Amino acid sequence: MSDTQNKYMNPYLAGVLLGLIIMASFIITGQGTGASGAFKDIIAAGVVKFAPAFAESSAFFGKYAGAEHSPLKAWLVFEIIGVIAGAIISGALAGRLNLKVEHSPKITSKTRIVMAIIGGIFFGIGSQLGRGCTSGAGLSGMAVMSVSGFLVVGVIFGVGYSLAWAFKKYWV
Amino acid sequence: MSPLITPGSEFDLLWAFIIGIGFGFILEAAGFSTSRKIVGLFYGYDFTVIKVFFTAAVTASTGILLFNHLGYVDYGSIYVPTTFLWPTVVGGIFMGLGFLIGGFCPGTSVCAAAIGKLDALAFVGGIFGGIFFYTMSFETLWMEFRTTSNLGVLQLSDVFGLPLGVMILIFSVFSIITFVVVSKIKQNIKNVEY
Amino acid sequence: MKERLFTSGRDMLNIDPVVNAWHWEIPAYLFLGGLAAGLVFFASFYYLRGKEDQMPTAVKIAPFIAPIAIVLGLIFLLLDLKHKLYFWQLYTTIRLDSPMSWGAWTLGVVMPLSVIWPLLYLDDLKKYFWNRNIVIYEIIDWLEKLINDFDFTKTIMGWFKENQKAIAWANIILSVILGVYTGILLSAFNARPLWNTAILGPLFLTSGISTAAATIMWMAYDHYEKVRFSRIDLWLIAVELFLITHMFMGLSSGTSASMDAAALFLGGPYTVVFWVGVVGMGLLFPAVLESMELLGYKVPIAIPAFFIILGGAIFRFVMVDAGQFSKYFFQ
Repeated sequence: MSDTQNKYMNPYLAGVLLGLIIMASFIITGQGTGASGAFKDIIAAGVVKFAPAFAESSAFFGKYAGAEHSPLKAWLVFEIIGVIAGAIISGALAGRLNLKVEHSPKITSKTRIVMAIIGGIFFGIGSQLGRGCTSGAGLSGMAVMSVSGFLVVGVIFGVGYSLAWAFKKYWV
Repeated sequence: MSPLITPGSEFDLLWAFIIGIGFGFILEAAGFSTSRKIVGLFYGYDFTVIKVFFTAAVTASTGILLFNHLGYVDYGSIYVPTTFLWPTVVGGIFMGLGFLIGGFCPGTSVCAAAIGKLDALAFVGGIFGGIFFYTMSFETLWMEFRTTSNLGVLQLSDVFGLPLGVMILIFSVFSIITFVVVSKIKQNIKNVEY
Repeated sequence: MKERLFTSGRDMLNIDPVVNAWHWEIPAYLFLGGLAAGLVFFASFYYLRGKEDQMPTAVKIAPFIAPIAIVLGLIFLLLDLKHKLYFWQLYTTIRLDSPMSWGAWTLGVVMPLSVIWPLLYLDDLKKYFWNRNIVIYEIIDWLEKLINDFDFTKTIMGWFKENQKAIAWANIILSVILGVYTGILLSAFNARPLWNTAILGPLFLTSGISTAAATIMWMAYDHYEKVRFSRIDLWLIAVELFLITHMFMGLSSGTSASMDAAALFLGGPYTVVFWVGVVGMGLLFPAVLESMELLGYKVPIAIPAFFIILGGAIFRFVMVDAGQFSKYFFQ
């Protein structure tokens, strides 16, 4: 739909603004933006709250169990709350606020939902192993010229391009 | 001297919220709340992700370098991730697959879910599932592997033995070439409606 | 036994420095009480102004939530009481100087009145829920049949209908008392400097009315009413921000104890929860969305409404929790 495409921001302008936000984040708070860490914090908060004994004995949750604050009181959690607000404001400005399942006309909504869940599971595991997701490890890592950032972005895009053919019918 | 705010303090979290608003706004405005626009980069019909991503990285890295040069920022006091070679590669493979299958990454899925995309909400649910699986199998599967091949805090300039500024310049030139190439590719590919 | 000498009344084990006597029940009760007060207030107010048909949601539909909220709130309150079986003793005494007594009695009167009100509009409620929720529709239908089955219930309802104006007047006064009471209840605790401020009453009243306005706006099916309540909500948000500013100014210029109380929100452990959860997401963000809506952008009304209601709830939780943290400190 050509009329909706015009409502997206120019990608280069968006890139510059995004870069400035990441830069501001580094200068003001010493770290870049991210997302997957917030999910981890929320899970940690849930486990510490509902299974405290298990949390203390676990190698993963041990550090959260003994902490003074709830794991929810974390940088990325509050950043994600902001992300939700910012996205809704932008969506309202462009008239994109409505409930729908977006998918290629060749697949059903149900297929798309199942794909999204599987994709999310993969991304969830990968983001823990890669110490952050596309924005946390990738973009913020690239911003400080970290090898880790370039590496993770290279691998993500590399896997994407080399296996794109296998999933073509789900997207195009 | 950066960081201006004590990390972990209450005001630090307040800033996280404010920065998050900007982050979410730009991601949504750029069109990252639409999975079919995002995966367009793998099929050649939409390269928004590459354009936004590389422009942002060039802008941020140049800006930080500039502030470093002026003495406002020190790479030692901001978070430069440690490079763990193989965990990062394997993690990247998982993420690449997740990206291709699910059509989002965590940040963009939150944006898309916020404006009402139900597939994004399913992706968010999947992330929770994935991380939960990871945490539960942490000791058996990942704990040892996670810290292998530690290369330390490594910047791209260290690998190539070039000054940081030159490295950023090379990256910028590389980005511009990429932009030209993808624009050429897009011209030859049939438009996909989404 | 070790002998201890109390001189200040402050050095009490499990009371100072932090009591955690009040958990989620009390803030949930205060939230529901404020919401019910607001709903009752709007219904009576627009009824008395003769706007029954212009504001159908506010007058006829939304008030059915009020008795449910009150009952739920009272259940939470009961859960919190140590001696549950003695709660009725609140009603064996009237103490004009005790906000608890005021609140108990106000609730005792508001409760039946808030039940009667929606009963007068069963037909409209049925129409509203016909294609929205069939279960609620059936319940209302059953209620209506029950009332029409007996002559004496019909007579009583007829009498209420005739005297609806009197009920509305009583409601308006009682709802303001109820709304203020949810705040005064806290500010009567002299030992808690954060609560011990006169602004808490009006602030809780405004916040309660604002959550009610958001609820009505969310339920409204008519554009005129939606816009009307959107505007009302914007005003209420402005008033709340004004009162919050004044609360902090008041606390910051007070004794060192109240300055400490203010500091809980200005760098202390409640800073980010309060400024992000209450002010950011609960007031400013919905205000931005509602302003955009009034400027002609398409914003589903449920989004600002949801965040206002959530913000109102977080506000109660933060105030109750932080209040128990704040103390007069003698050392």
